[in-house]
Amino acid sequence: MKVTEKVDTTTIIIPKQKNFWKKMREQKILYMMSIPVVIWVFIFNYLPVWGWTMAFQNFRPGRSFSEQEWVGLAHFIELFNDPHFYLVLRNTLVMSVMLLVVGFTIPIIFAVLLNELKDSLFKRTVQTISYLPHFVSWVVVAGIVTKMLSTDGGIINDMLVGLHLIDNPIQFLAKGEWFWFIVTGADIWKQMGWNSIIFLAAMAGVDPQLYEAARVDGAGRFRRIWHITLPGIRPTIYVILILSIGNLIAIGFERQLLLGNSLTREYAEVLELYALNYGIGMGRYSFGTAISIFNSMVSILLLLFANGIFKRYSNTSVM
Amino acid sequence: MGRFKKVTSILFLTSLLLVVAACSDNTDNTSKENNDDGNKNEDVVIDGDLEPITFSLFAADNNPSWDGMNSPVGQEILKATGVSLEADFAIGEPAERIALFAASGDYPDFVLPKGDGNLLVDAGAMIDLRPLIEEHAPNIQRVYGDYLERMVWSEDDDSIYFIGTNPVDEEYRTPGNGFWLQHAVVKELGYPEIRTLEDFENAIRTYYEMYPEIDGQPTIPLTLLADDWRLLISVTNPAFFATGAPDDGEWFIDQDTFEAKLHYKRPEEKEYFRWLNKMNAEGLLDKESFVQQEDQYKAKISSGRVLGMIDAEWSIADTQTALREDGKLDRMHGVYPVTLDETYKHGNFKPTGYLSTWGIGITVDNPDPVRAIKFLDWMASDEAQILNNWGIEGEHYQLDDDGNRYLTDDQREERRSDSSFDERTGINVFRAYGPHYGNGVLDPTGQPYTIHTPETLIEDYTEVEKEVLAAYDVEIWKDLFPQEDEFSPRPYGAAWEINYSSDSPIAVPFQRAQDTMFTRIPQAILADPADFDSIYDSFIEEISTDAIEAAEKEFSRLVQKRVELWGGN
Amino acid sequence: MTRKKQNFNRMTPAERMFDILNYVFMCFVVVVMLYPFLNVLAISFNESTDTVRGGIYIWPRAFTLENYAVIMQYDSLITGFINSVLRTVIGTLGGLFVCSMVAYTLSRHDFQGRKFVSTVIVLTMFFSGGLIPTYMLMRDLGLINSFAVYIFPLLVSAWNIIIIRSFMDTLPNALQESAKIDGANDFTIYWRIILPICKPVLATIALFIAVMQWNMWFDTYIYNSANPALTTLQYELMKILQNTATSAGIDATRGGAGADLIKRVSPESVRMAISIVTIVPILLVYPFLQKYFVKGMTLGAVK
Repeated sequence: MKVTEKVDTTTIIIPKQKNFWKKMREQKILYMMSIPVVIWVFIFNYLPVWGWTMAFQNFRPGRSFSEQEWVGLAHFIELFNDPHFYLVLRNTLVMSVMLLVVGFTIPIIFAVLLNELKDSLFKRTVQTISYLPHFVSWVVVAGIVTKMLSTDGGIINDMLVGLHLIDNPIQFLAKGEWFWFIVTGADIWKQMGWNSIIFLAAMAGVDPQLYEAARVDGAGRFRRIWHITLPGIRPTIYVILILSIGNLIAIGFERQLLLGNSLTREYAEVLELYALNYGIGMGRYSFGTAISIFNSMVSILLLLFANGIFKRYSNTSVM
Repeated sequence: MGRFKKVTSILFLTSLLLVVAACSDNTDNTSKENNDDGNKNEDVVIDGDLEPITFSLFAADNNPSWDGMNSPVGQEILKATGVSLEADFAIGEPAERIALFAASGDYPDFVLPKGDGNLLVDAGAMIDLRPLIEEHAPNIQRVYGDYLERMVWSEDDDSIYFIGTNPVDEEYRTPGNGFWLQHAVVKELGYPEIRTLEDFENAIRTYYEMYPEIDGQPTIPLTLLADDWRLLISVTNPAFFATGAPDDGEWFIDQDTFEAKLHYKRPEEKEYFRWLNKMNAEGLLDKESFVQQEDQYKAKISSGRVLGMIDAEWSIADTQTALREDGKLDRMHGVYPVTLDETYKHGNFKPTGYLSTWGIGITVDNPDPVRAIKFLDWMASDEAQILNNWGIEGEHYQLDDDGNRYLTDDQREERRSDSSFDERTGINVFRAYGPHYGNGVLDPTGQPYTIHTPETLIEDYTEVEKEVLAAYDVEIWKDLFPQEDEFSPRPYGAAWEINYSSDSPIAVPFQRAQDTMFTRIPQAILADPADFDSIYDSFIEEISTDAIEAAEKEFSRLVQKRVELWGGN
Repeated sequence: MTRKKQNFNRMTPAERMFDILNYVFMCFVVVVMLYPFLNVLAISFNESTDTVRGGIYIWPRAFTLENYAVIMQYDSLITGFINSVLRTVIGTLGGLFVCSMVAYTLSRHDFQGRKFVSTVIVLTMFFSGGLIPTYMLMRDLGLINSFAVYIFPLLVSAWNIIIIRSFMDTLPNALQESAKIDGANDFTIYWRIILPICKPVLATIALFIAVMQWNMWFDTYIYNSANPALTTLQYELMKILQNTATSAGIDATRGGAGADLIKRVSPESVRMAISIVTIVPILLVYPFLQKYFVKGMTLGAVK
């Protein structure tokens, strides 16, 4: 498919123009299926982007557009001159990369393992249960994690002391350097099952005849996983990877806020919390908008980058 | 195929229409929503010739018992005024909604914006209530008296946009803040005086050495709660209380010059934190103080093995209930006015005068402002206040032969035990939406407006509590504290009530100082005592930037302006 | 199908070992994943004053239904529930239709507008105009105080479109080719041939949209809170849940009006009961969708 497209672009201009209109008529149904959605998206997603002008004003709600005070790039300059911003950016990137690496591979592995279960009832049960924590709010999960790691009767410390691995209980949550790992661990606990659903669905789409054929060829279990299951869901994996890279900077702040405390603050504060504290939370819409423009720009660049790489090496892309 | 064509063309057409709608001039194509919902109370006979009217209301504070006008009290209000309120409450950050009102220009009829009124005033959303009050509202004038002048918006604008909804002339009877100590501790030690940090520490230490375990679990001498913003309540606010300053939020206001600074900059408070540092170094401070979450903290206290806390009353109230229900009356806690040394007075009861800034206002979208102010005036009447506090005679309270209001035991018990009492009856539900008196204020017949009296407070004490109080020769916990009349009132009210806008030079530097404080103070407390000074001093240096000092100057200016504006009222 | 597999080849010891470990691991997963939910469930059935003492794990210590009774006394829950179900059903069906339709056009590599359409749609994932402009747009479109505001803005989701498209990309081309030869038009191919074999991914996306729709409360709060007839379950529960502690708590320390409110902060047990009320209905959707995930039921049948 890709190849034919490339041929298309190399043809000379005049026939292409002609082709274009002719083809458009041929594909009018495809156009009718997609253009209304483009208009839809334009209205609901692109129109509100006029709000970005706020980043260049000292926006006060209740004043008309012409009454707003324009300040140029002042908010961006303030943002980039704030040393705290870089600390927050570091935390955001470190945690999101960790979440991407672990929070991406583990659901795939889990989905593969689940797929290998033969007992269908057991399989369904495990799957249903594994996605339960997704519905439990972060407040609850953070509470449970804190209790487990407590030095006052927390199960982890009790176990470690009981096994004589340590002499005194460890204050896990007081150590800034450990915070990132605790967040990642908690995230896997909460999201592993949910995130694996999509891969399971992709596996369901793999042609069973391929398995049969492999079996006839004498391929063992592991080779079937490696040569059929994984390649079968590869497009899904790549697409989700690309989108995750695009979303790298947007990791939310709830889990960090709830698991963090004043001792781990310097490791826990992330960009979105910073935007809340110094932007909207204070009524500084303009500064908040400047941060979200920064976020969007970074995200789009990351997306284009990831998309480019994958397009080049694996022929997968999202655009 | 044909069907599909139809679908797509409809989709396409609607999209087009929407585009046109979006691009067209949009000043007034949103028709005011006509809520035909207001008619559901048609069966109520309204007194006089009042036309029924529905007002919308937005409040920054949630009201979990709200059930519209359906409750008996709601029906009474409707009968008397013809007004139905349709309330809408903020969830999360109220400023979010208020900014949307301001941006879109569609306002509810009544607003209670708390600290974000400036957004609405800026947008020209609020009506000046002053002429309305002068013409139509004798009850409002009577309830507020001179306090009305405190509600003046600013020195440049003498309009009154919001009238206060805090209780007027409230008499506070329970200490909201203090140092909590288990009754068992003071009993065991023969009721020593608990007045200074040293007394408090000695009591805890001695008892802890005597009983390193309670019920087979390790005793926790002193625990704090620093879960998110609770750090302010349990760690930093006590620093100013213990050094004789009143609660001015994060500020300390010099009472002579009205100069403001961040309170933790005071050298006295450094000494308070040094004490916490020492407590930690000596193993008397719970190691988990800065890590634990609220439920863990409460569970520990409820187990009865925590000797001391430093916290606000509402934060630990649950734990006292739990201990009480378990019958562990000795393990409940008393509250003491502990300070750094005897030269300081605990400032819990330092009077603010009436705090008038947060209140209710009428917007320009209100269809009938005169009717609206008359409604608020009715809410300020004796009839309405008694209705809102006591309910309906014969049903929620009784009158004795002399015409005095009282609650029967059953009625009292019903209020105490039924968690849906307010929602079901409407009592206490509407009070926050109009001017009203606080606890301890008497009506013209000499009876209190509210149901709370000092006697009811004492009735509620446990035997152990009464015993401890008797040993200290007082009747209620408040008696241990320096009383209101020992202080002169603050002529600016309370500093935490002073609002500033988001582009004020205070906003960002203040937030930065807070952020720094949240990390540095716990670090200083948990540090090796030898390092305490250097950590604390470098913290003070960090929050002594030009921007923060400019913020302090600006805040001083606001305080001074307010003192002038209020002119000692 | 599983029987057949076993007949086909005998397992090597390594594979047998793998199976055993896999079962053990899955049992571990079940225990670990079940815990938070059971914990919430146990606390929701525990007396709220007793919960303060802590130490509730998977079984209530002082059993009560009181916490649920506290929630159920709110009359508006029924209206809220109906609206929530409606928006979930309509939103899911509408979203599935629109997203899969666009996804199909994007999976057609010969489609000329493909690049343009996909770029326009994908980019929406990475920016937003912010709350105020979005609100003004909804107002100008006349969507404030309307049920439509629950459906329209959420109809098109770039993420869902891409996921469906990536699934469609794995389908063999031969299917479409043969249909084309039979003279079917593009919509018919999409509707008759592609959609039926996309059931696994459609089930997944249906789940995603349904959960998202079910959990939404912010749009009710921002756009429709003035109209009680349009309330949703999540919004009603959010109002009960509303953490008055955060705002009222600070005032209370300062002797402000919050002092009264703070006593009404919902106890932990009630909050957990609210969680259960929100979680359970949406959990019930899953078993209906799960059958579509069963491996291999799709292509073989069509081919």
